[in-house]
This record gives sequence, structure tokens and C-alpha cells, in this order.
Amino acid sequence: MTVEIVTDSLSDITPEFAKELGVTVVPLYVRFGEEVYRDRVEITTDEFYHKLVHGDIFPTTTQPSPGDFITVYKKLAKKTDEILVITVSGVLSGTYQSAMQAKSMVEDKCRIEVIDSRKVAMSLGLIVIEAAKAAKAGAGLDELADWVRKAIHRSHLVVYFDTLKYLAKGGRIGKAQGLLGAMLSIKPILTIKDGEMAPLTRVRSPAAGLDYLYNFVPGFSKVEALAVEHATTPDEADELVRRLSAIFPKERIYRSIVSPVLGTHAGPNALALTVLEAE
Amino acid sequence: MFAAATGWLEKSSADIDALNVFPVPDGDTGTNMLLTMRSTIEEAYRAPDRSAAAVAQAMAKGALMGARGNSGVILSQILRGLAQNLAAKESFNAADLASALQESSVMAYKGISNPVEGTMLTVIKDVAKAVAAEVASNGRDLVSVMEAAVNAAGESVANTPNLLEVLREAGVVDAGGQGLHTILDGALRYLRGEMEQMRFRKPQIIITDLHATKLPQMIAADEVPYGYCTEFLLKGEKLDTDKIKKKLEKKGESLIVVGDDSAARIHIHTLEPGDIIAYASSLGTLHQVSIRNMDEQHQDYLEMQKAKGPAVDTAIVAVVAGEGLADVFTSLGVTAIVPGGQTMNPSTKDLLQAVEGVASDKVIILPNNKNIIATASQVQSLTEKKIEVVPTTTIPQGVAALLAFDYEADLEANISIMARAISAIKTVEICRAVRSAKLGDLQIRKKQPIGFLDGDLVAVGESALEVLNKMLSKLDLNKIEVITIYYGDDTKSEEAEQVASDIRNRYPQLQIEVVKGGQPHYNYIISIE
Repeated sequence: MTVEIVTDSLSDITPEFAKELGVTVVPLYVRFGEEVYRDRVEITTDEFYHKLVHGDIFPTTTQPSPGDFITVYKKLAKKTDEILVITVSGVLSGTYQSAMQAKSMVEDKCRIEVIDSRKVAMSLGLIVIEAAKAAKAGAGLDELADWVRKAIHRSHLVVYFDTLKYLAKGGRIGKAQGLLGAMLSIKPILTIKDGEMAPLTRVRSPAAGLDYLYNFVPGFSKVEALAVEHATTPDEADELVRRLSAIFPKERIYRSIVSPVLGTHAGPNALALTVLEAE
Repeated sequence: MFAAATGWLEKSSADIDALNVFPVPDGDTGTNMLLTMRSTIEEAYRAPDRSAAAVAQAMAKGALMGARGNSGVILSQILRGLAQNLAAKESFNAADLASALQESSVMAYKGISNPVEGTMLTVIKDVAKAVAAEVASNGRDLVSVMEAAVNAAGESVANTPNLLEVLREAGVVDAGGQGLHTILDGALRYLRGEMEQMRFRKPQIIITDLHATKLPQMIAADEVPYGYCTEFLLKGEKLDTDKIKKKLEKKGESLIVVGDDSAARIHIHTLEPGDIIAYASSLGTLHQVSIRNMDEQHQDYLEMQKAKGPAVDTAIVAVVAGEGLADVFTSLGVTAIVPGGQTMNPSTKDLLQAVEGVASDKVIILPNNKNIIATASQVQSLTEKKIEVVPTTTIPQGVAALLAFDYEADLEANISIMARAISAIKTVEICRAVRSAKLGDLQIRKKQPIGFLDGDLVAVGESALEVLNKMLSKLDLNKIEVITIYYGDDTKSEEAEQVASDIRNRYPQLQIEVVKGGQPHYNYIISIE
């Protein structure tokens, strides 16, 4: 029996792509006042960013409940006896906790392994994609879990933020705290380190940010896959893909959109790049 | 002898300051040399004994610690050369001096990565040569050797404009060379016993002891922060420095009483500065009184460490003048700020203190001024910490280097990242000319706004805006995205906003930012990136 792969919506794997891969995505929740939406299921990214930029209510986000995971586990247990759950960083979200609690409630049904990826966005997504491919090829749960734990160290995220306002409001600023209150208008470039957002450097303009993201790639000698994501600026992300495809096979550059829950923290105009190093 | 030379230098430091090589008040050479010599002499008094070797060693150390500006650093190298050559000598004769000066000359050149002729380097080289010749032909008389040195220095200084184009155009001699000549001249006059005449010539300023043979005793040599650092000049009649010294000995540590019967400089670290002042004011009038709380200074350093931003294992120390600019650097994560800039070069000691005060073992220094790079480079030899100097010559370069700092990269990688960031930025500095001058094609009147592009004087105009526009018109604005305008202490914010909106109107594609830098000297420092 094939191992079933489960992740959450912060992996930025779109519903269509998840279907293609055979991956189950458990959505987080994004809430504007009284209105609650299931991430990417009940609200599209376009609707979300429109509300974020033009609405007067600042959204909040919530992890999936243990019940959400139980539902998924029970459904999958009907066709497999091995489930691998790869969640967003436990420092950023309680998703990992929910997945773990759910596991303890359905333990005897089938074997479930939950891994805190310490990552977010496509730095989680690329790991999930590769794991799904391996699962399809017949890898067992232990083998897959082992592979994922190693792959975590090979997955590198860089995010250009147009502003840190949203990250600070959402309380996810982590080690980037020191970048707040700069007297100049600066565009921070962050990474995810030890599970939380951490500053890499700062630039003064979107173009310089794009350059930084582009120049991040040649720093690695062997690259398995790349991923480029935008929030509200698809043209700039496409431009980055166009430039990267000159130095890297285009078919291994994944293109995605920063999910609403993540967008709540990243804000408009954010641009993210993930490098998955080869083994 | 050197104390006398310092006194002599002090009297002319203002004149040396006035020897501007460019029509900007970079002329702090005299002050820098004086401050360096003061530190040198202070340290000389702390020499463990009075052998030539010990005193020269102490002086070299003092010069190094107190070195300010390029001239100060070169001076400290000269003294280091002397000290190395006189090591293990109880006293020195004319031949020893000749060989020591030769060593000084070599050291001075060695200390500068890009030696330029027509500066004090040339002067010390010529002096060493002349002294060697004098010793070879006339032998052993120290006075005649010093005379040869002073004469050679004088001729060499007079010749500097022939060697260095900028001096010739500005119609001045090299200020550092002049300072060196003055020091040697002071020493010669001391050897000749002309102390009285020296005093008579500029009688209004008497600060340093002219009878330096009476070395004051130091109670404690260490500089551990302790109470108040109390320093002042006492003027009066029939002052008895020995008696004053005896009286103050038990009042504190690091006591220095230097002077004669009409003026004495007193320096002491004490817990009760009031007692010292009360006692001294009963003897005469007090001048240049300075009382600093050393505990507080120490405390400030500790506070600064706590307040610093994200925990990184590399600290950054930046030299910045102006409150606004200091805020900018702090907000961008600099660990410690050393006040200083164009007309106020910090000493090696100031930088060393900042470096020692930060928690990290790896420290990057951003000098932000070309005259501070050499001083900053000296810090490595004085600390166990790993020091790197990113040679920023302007404030915008410093900001660019700081912004580019990569929290994940190691020290080496950061140095190259920061160096690359510097090269991608252009700096415009606008100030008022302090004197009329002709430089290349530019005819400059006193007080006219003048503009520098990356340190080179390229434009002059009737207003700051006109100068800026002339400079912008020469740049390729297609590659430019952000212009940041830092306006100075004596520039009005309305004027700065006016300049900004003018640029915005003409270059709508650019992002223009205006920040109150509060820097002295420059009306505008503008970063173009």
C-alpha cells in the first residue's frame, strides 16, 4: 500500500497541484472579523489579497483543529495503513500540535508519522512534492520520514518583504524584530531559521530585492528544484522565473502563490524563492 | 624635550589647522597631531624608568593609543620606529638618533598602504637623510644634528607643494609636514635651552610643562574606570607643582601634575572632584575644567551592549557624527557608534574602547571617512578580537554596507558583500567652501556651496540645489532607484524638503527620502543608489 502524504495549506501547494500529486492539504483558517474562511478552499488568493489591501479589517489566522486532522486521518486510513504528515514550522503555527493530538486519538487505526518541517511556504512545499513522488514510487513510511528529516536541511527559503508591518502585527516577526523601526524605508529579506523568521539582509528597492533573490541561487552547487512565489505581483515573480531559467532548467522551477494565511503575515508585494539542494 | 616640542606644536596647531589643502575645513591636522602628541607625552610620564628605551617605548604606545587622523597615525609610526631602534638603549647619542630616525622613516612608509610624496612622509624621509649626513660629516653633537634635522624639515616642507599637485593649486604647504617640522623645532629649542623665548613668543598659551625634566610620579598606571576623571589647567603665581602633587597624591589615582610656577595642568581620577577643585582654586584660577564620570561611561557601554538588536556573533562599530545619522545607524542594527567624522577624527583609543565594549569577538568597523580608515586599521594590533575594517569613506557607503550585512554569512563573506555594496553607491556631499580657491576648472569663492561626488570636488554653484542639480545631470539616472537626502545640523528642514520636491518633480520615477542627519559641516549628504 502506498504511503499517504498530508501537509497543511502553508506549504503553498495549490489544490489543483495537490490533486495531481495525490497529496492531502489540510487548510488553516483566515478570519476577517466575524468571517472565517478555510485557506484556499473558501477564499481564493485573489479575493484574499484584495480584502487585505483594501479592507479595513486586519485578518487573523488560526491553525486547523485536531478534529480537522482526525477527519483526514480516518478518511485516508480506509485506503492505507501508513500516513506521513509534514507540517509548517511549529514555531510559527500550532498546526503541528493539532496534527499530533489527532494522531494520539486515532493511533491504533494505522501508523501515522508527524514531522515538524521547521519550514514554511515552498521551502515546505518542495519537500512535500519530492516526498509525494517518492511515495508513489513505493517508498515506505520509515524510509520517507528519514528522507524528509534530511531534506529539511537542504531546503532554503528567502522572502522579500515590501514591509514588515504585517509580520509584526501577526506576531510572527521572530528574530526580524530588530529590523523594525528603521529610520529609512528598507525592504527586509528574511529566511526561516530554526523554525522562525530571521533576517538575512535588507535592500532599498523591489528591483534590488529581485536581484538578491536571483543571486541567491548560484550560491548552491547542486540544486534539485526551485520555487518562486508571489503575493500580489505575478509579473515580478514571472520575471524572476525568466531570469532563473537561463541558469536552471525551467521544468524544475515550481511556480506558486503565497497562500492567504501566509499572506496575512507577508503582506502584499512579497516575493519568495526556495532552493531545494540536491542530495 | 618632546614635551617641549608638544608645547611648541600646541602654539601653532591653529595655524596648522588653517593650512587647508582643499577648500573644505578638513584642516584638523594640527589638532590631530597635537592630540596625538599629548597622548604620547602622557604615556611617556608613565615609563617604568627613564632610560631612552623605556621612554621611547612608552611614547610609541601613547602615540598609538592617541593617534587621531592620518597625520596622527603617521606620527605614531614615526615614534614606533624610534622606539624599536632605541630598544635596550639606556641613553642615545647623535649616531643613535640618526639610525632611529632612519627606522622612523621606514616605519612611516610601511604604515601607509598608499604612500604619497609631498606629505609628512617625505619630510621624515628627508630629515632622516640629512641627519645621517650630518652625523657622517660632523659627528657627535646632538644639537647640531637636531639643527640639521630642523633645517632639512623646513626645506622639505617648503618643497611639498612641488611634489603634490593639490598643495600647489591651493598654494599651501603640507599641514602634516609642517606639524612635524614644528615638533622637531620645539625639540631643538629645548635642547638649546630656549624655553624662555618659546614662552615669550606666544605667551598667551601655556599649557604643557616646559621643564619636563621633572617627571611627575604616577600613583597608578592602570586606567580602570574609577570615580571622576578630573582635568584642568591651573594658572597662578609661584605655583609649587611638587607641593600640589604631594597634596593630591592621596586623593585619587592616575595623578598627573605638569607645569611650572605660573601654569600647571592637573589630571586625576578621584572620587571627590569637589575637594580637588576647591583646593586648586585656592591656589589660582582654573581653566579648561573637565570632570567626567568614568563609572557612567563604563555603564553606558554595558547599556549599549544590552540594547543592541538581534543577537549576532559579528558586531558592527560605526564612526558617525550627528544625532539623526546616529539614529539611522542604530536603527539599522549597528552595535556601537563612535562619534566622529570629517572635522573630528576619533582616536585609535576611542575605536578600541568601542570594540572592547561590544559583546562579540568579531567586529566590523565602518570608518565612514577616508581620514579614519588608517586609524581604524590600527585597532587590530591592540585587541584579541578579530577586527575587519570595511573602508567606507562616506556616510551613504556606511549605510549601504550596513544594510547589506548578511546575518547568516560569516565574517569573510560579509566583508566582501559589504565591499560590493559600497561600490554600488554614489555619494554626494555638499558644504560651503571655507576659503576661496581654484581647483582644476572650478573657481570657488569663500562660503560658496560646493559639491563632492565620492570625495572629489566636482561642482560649485550659488545654492545647494544648483550644485546638486549640476551633479545629478552628470549621472546616469536610469540605473538609480533611491535617493536619500540627509540634511545637516545647520540646514533647515524646509530647505531640505524644497530640494527633495524639486528632484521629485524632475525625476518622478525615483524614490526620494529626506532624513534629518544633523551632521556638522555638510549641509547635505546624499546617497544615490
